[in-house]
Amino acid sequence: VDFDLRARRGALEKLWRQGLSGRALLEKQSSMVDEFLVECFAHCPGKEGIALIALGGYGRRELFPFSDIDLLLLHNGVSSEVLNGAAEAIFYPLWDSGLEVGHSVRTIDACLADADADFFFQVAFLDSRFLAGDRKNFESLQHAFSKQYIDGNRKKFLATMKHHRLERHRRFGMHTYLLEPHLKESRGGLRDIQAILWTAWVVFGLRELSTMEDAGLLSSEEHNKFAEAWEQLIKIRNRLHYISGRKNEQLFFEHQEEMAKAFGYKNEKGMLAVEHFMHDVHNALQTVAVTADLFFEHVDEVLGMPPVEHVQIADHRLDKEIEVRLGRVLLLAPHALTAKPQLLMRLFWHAAVLGLPVHHRTRKYIQANLSLIDNRFRSSKRVSKMFLEILQQDGAADALAVMLETGVLAAYIPEFGALESLAQHDVYHINTVDRHLIQAVAEIHRLKEEERHIFQMIASPHILFLATLLHDIGKGFGQGHAQRGAKLVRDVGKRLGLSEKEIDCLSFLVEQHLFLIHTALRRDLEDDSLIVRCARQIKDPDRLNILYLLTIADARATGPTVWNDWKAALVLELYLKIAHLLERSDLKKPAREQGQAAVEWMYDQVREELDAEIPFSSELLPAEYIVSFAPSEVSRHLRLHNTMDKNDLLLEVHEEAGHWAILLMSTDRSGLLAKICGVLALHNLRILSAQIFTWQDGTAVDVINVVSAVNVGYQEQDWRALKNALWLAVNNRLALDYRLHKKLAHLIGRKRQNASKLPTRVEIDNASSESCSIVEIYALERIGLLYDVTRVLSDLGMNIQQAKIGSQADQIVDVFYVQDQDGKKIEDAEYQEELRKALFHVVTHESREREDIVV
Amino acid sequence: MKRIEAIIKPYRLDDVKGALNRMGIKGMTIAEVKGYGRQRGHKEIYRGAEYVVDFIPKVKLELVVDAGNVDSVVACICGAANTNTIGDGKIFVLPLGDVVRVRTGEKGTEAI
Repeated sequence: VDFDLRARRGALEKLWRQGLSGRALLEKQSSMVDEFLVECFAHCPGKEGIALIALGGYGRRELFPFSDIDLLLLHNGVSSEVLNGAAEAIFYPLWDSGLEVGHSVRTIDACLADADADFFFQVAFLDSRFLAGDRKNFESLQHAFSKQYIDGNRKKFLATMKHHRLERHRRFGMHTYLLEPHLKESRGGLRDIQAILWTAWVVFGLRELSTMEDAGLLSSEEHNKFAEAWEQLIKIRNRLHYISGRKNEQLFFEHQEEMAKAFGYKNEKGMLAVEHFMHDVHNALQTVAVTADLFFEHVDEVLGMPPVEHVQIADHRLDKEIEVRLGRVLLLAPHALTAKPQLLMRLFWHAAVLGLPVHHRTRKYIQANLSLIDNRFRSSKRVSKMFLEILQQDGAADALAVMLETGVLAAYIPEFGALESLAQHDVYHINTVDRHLIQAVAEIHRLKEEERHIFQMIASPHILFLATLLHDIGKGFGQGHAQRGAKLVRDVGKRLGLSEKEIDCLSFLVEQHLFLIHTALRRDLEDDSLIVRCARQIKDPDRLNILYLLTIADARATGPTVWNDWKAALVLELYLKIAHLLERSDLKKPAREQGQAAVEWMYDQVREELDAEIPFSSELLPAEYIVSFAPSEVSRHLRLHNTMDKNDLLLEVHEEAGHWAILLMSTDRSGLLAKICGVLALHNLRILSAQIFTWQDGTAVDVINVVSAVNVGYQEQDWRALKNALWLAVNNRLALDYRLHKKLAHLIGRKRQNASKLPTRVEIDNASSESCSIVEIYALERIGLLYDVTRVLSDLGMNIQQAKIGSQADQIVDVFYVQDQDGKKIEDAEYQEELRKALFHVVTHESREREDIVV
Repeated sequence: MKRIEAIIKPYRLDDVKGALNRMGIKGMTIAEVKGYGRQRGHKEIYRGAEYVVDFIPKVKLELVVDAGNVDSVVACICGAANTNTIGDGKIFVLPLGDVVRVRTGEKGTEAI
């Protein structure tokens, strides 16, 4: 053969570099291979009864630079000698040229039998094209094929085609917004285009887009858009083959930048060239996907086939204008929308509630009438109510996806428009921003079950869902998307008719949606002052709960590598720490709905646990106490309380991971906490944290976590002596001040490195709690410090409602919730100043004095 | 040559990385790991629901250094990872057979 295919293909690539692209390139390459094969065939030693047939993409004359060449050598039972000669003359040179060849040698009967067993062979045959040889052979095969597989076979063909399409989408991604799309097999890829054309041919006998338009299957606008997307995908695939140097159909991350540049995209409008490029790729895929969806639904309807993937649901009327037909929500009289535009939202509401798709004709109609969504529609209370309800339905994500595809979402929330098909060129995000937001809503619905406990605590779930849908609304304009989003959602909230308070919350959530994950990964969670700052910033347990669920949903919706057990554990730890602190600071807020529900629930749990064994009234146990412990723990306290005499002092200790937990119950008396702190210091116990409560009947219940300051084991610690000392102290028979002083004089202190850089601070905060003043003390840790501090508080007549003692390295952060003797906050400025000075004195002066002793 | 494995607190990673970079260590492998040591796990109760934390999240650093640098590298990690609290982590030093750079085939110290 004097035809150098290799050289010709090289020449073709040159032409491509000079600008030959798209379909023209495919046809040129097909003609080239045609010529080559015709010449090869001419060299066959025997050709009698043999036909050379092109199949598949090559049959359609759509030969991409490195595509397989599918050939069939059709014969009517000639000798194997002749066949071998033909195969040698045709296939060998083709192999030598470096092209991948898919070849078979079959008789007509074998072809028909194989097509029966293999659907892919069947559709490949739909594209068969005669190249050379015995044309009669080919024609009789075509005739037999059409009789057997097309006539009277339409329904079966359609069902199989739809099945394979769905399987393909399952394997390659259910939507078109993957960041590394597969140009052939992805949803909206070239295979979807083929599926339309094959089906149009088998079902309607139509072979061209133009004849499909004539038959009313496509509007001329749809036709143009579709053809344009098709051409675009062809160009991209051509280039992808050439730059990969092989048959590669997946638009890998590493190729995207190079492709974007080659297609002339530029960095502009705050987006990278590659992001503009991928935006267009996704749009093309989306156009194909939507056209294919609508086409297949139309065919279903024509052939009277039910949608496969949905449970059978009988046709029935939902509203005057809306009904379920063939398992889809259908708008009966589209023109009714003009008079009653809110029907549009009503329709999606039904779809979300029932979990059904929207009928294709209704979708087309909506798409063509988006102008109905005007300012009045956008600020309608009724529409907004339906929209917020849609978000909370299990079917929300599917309904939102249809709203996105039809353009309703961007019309209703114009801020969303900027996000459509917005790709984020990094290795984490697998979805474009709009899809990511909808996926995040789907993740919240998953969390509704998985984190049921937290979800049920949320007072305003609609704000959670709305914040989730809008959290990235500020993307697409460079840095600072959270702040920008926080501003944007204020407008959205106003239009949706949210209250001022709800808008504040929404804006806060959008602005802070990365707060928990950033803090959990980058900050020291054992630093109590950090937790205090976090709690200050978040302020409200409801916000924290929403933020926690939003954080998980956001991460999960970003991509499979973003969320894992490891991050989950860190975020949970942070969440719980802030939650405990917030619980304590807002306990006294009366009858806050959510708080109250949790308290009631706890009372019930405890009653159930005790099973009438010990009756108690709800007034006995303060709300802040009961929500701080597990029901079993509260029951235990009540049982112990039942066994105590009025003057008893109860001390229980057990070993826990990393510390020892002391439970102390006794009748409350002034200075109790100071005495406890003093005795613990005497016995070399360092306080890690303390929870201090007083029941209505005057029983003090203190849970104190301690570690040994001198490294003795749990068994070696003399607990009996401790109890004894405590008993003496509360009965005023132990001179704590004297004993501590004596003890510390002999103590060899720890070397104080970094002592100078730790600031000593005393702060009094009257804003964060409704009923208490919060006293915060930051100081150098030393033995006996807590005793000194609590004694000052007691001397000044403070009632300590709660205490949170934390220490980190050499620093302590103590937080006391205090009231004066009349149960009020410390409002008087002089009184405050006195308290501040007294505390500052003990935390600074005494430490210096004692250090002197040590030295 | 030695292989150094360090388990540290996650939020110390940036500091440790910075300290190692400053002393000229060019490469390391980092993994998110979970485990427990003397610190063990713990149980949290919030509004009656129990949250059990069995394993504590840590970051594991792996690097290979010349035997002569082991002490200074270990000291550097120790210094940057230390917060003087429970759970600061551990450093393991292991003997190493050989190192090969895949691209060039270089071996031993050259390939570090």
